[in-house]
Amino acid sequence: MNIYLELTEEFNAGRVRCIISSGQAVVLHRLAIMSKDGDWIIREDAEATQHTLTVLARHGARYRFGAPLDPRWLQGGWSGHFEFRRGDLRVRTDFVSRPPRLSEIDLAGLWRQHDNASTSCPFLDVPQLAEIKKTNREKDYVVIGELARRMTDSTHQFLYSRSATDLIALASQHPQLVAELTARRPVLGTIAYGRDALEAALDAERRRLTHANEERLQRYARAAQKWAALWPVVEREVQDRPLPEAHAIVVRRAEGVLPFQA
Amino acid sequence: MRDEFLSEEDLDLQNLTDAELEAYWNLWLEQAQASNDLDADEYSHGVFMTVPCPHPSVTEQ
Repeated sequence: MNIYLELTEEFNAGRVRCIISSGQAVVLHRLAIMSKDGDWIIREDAEATQHTLTVLARHGARYRFGAPLDPRWLQGGWSGHFEFRRGDLRVRTDFVSRPPRLSEIDLAGLWRQHDNASTSCPFLDVPQLAEIKKTNREKDYVVIGELARRMTDSTHQFLYSRSATDLIALASQHPQLVAELTARRPVLGTIAYGRDALEAALDAERRRLTHANEERLQRYARAAQKWAALWPVVEREVQDRPLPEAHAIVVRRAEGVLPFQA
Repeated sequence: MRDEFLSEEDLDLQNLTDAELEAYWNLWLEQAQASNDLDADEYSHGVFMTVPCPHPSVTEQ
């Protein structure tokens, strides 16, 4: 079985705790294989983090530099990172409970949606994934462009399409939606000025989104400066310890050094 | 003309069976290990960008 599917089943034994996000969700939507690391949205409670740590411990995982997998930091948007070997594979597992650009209402709906589903390998749906992919990496906008073509709802297509030709065609079919959605996506206001203007606006929009994500990451980097300075010491302290023991040390060391909110 | 975001090879994933997708996925992951040394200190997700380098002044605290 694929390691990311196997892990997800283990994380979700008895209860949905982790939803596959980002690159591996792109694979499960059969769009492309372009990421070798796993990324999950984890439920923000102590039982979920404890169970996930137990699974990771069984695989011999160790902490990478990051926040402790603890709801106090997760609720501030911090991410927890682990790594282990399986045969020739380096397996990385990354967790957030507050993914960027998804609101609390979106998240509550996400958990409701997957609590009521029968699958043990839940993954983000297409619009949620497109929102998550508004990062500072060029390749993610390629993915958003293709995801938009998988969307069946015209509103979603207007909100996520990266193609000027697709948007112009869509606008000719649904002119009223352009007016309604321009406040949410200002680039739609350029459709009337033709393909060149729209393509320039799409490029500018991508740069704005990229810069916004860079600024978000810089905010976390500033908040983590003391933790980053301490990490080499912490890493040495935990390197030969089993994960439950290492986790307790990482939490104790991070308290008072890594703020819960960035 | 339709603009393209991904290659035909990527988009062909839709035509694979579940077993074929998983086999191809596993093979891709195995081949991707070749870049492990290059991205050892990097992050693909989350709010951290790189592993901090030990600073000479860092001592046991």
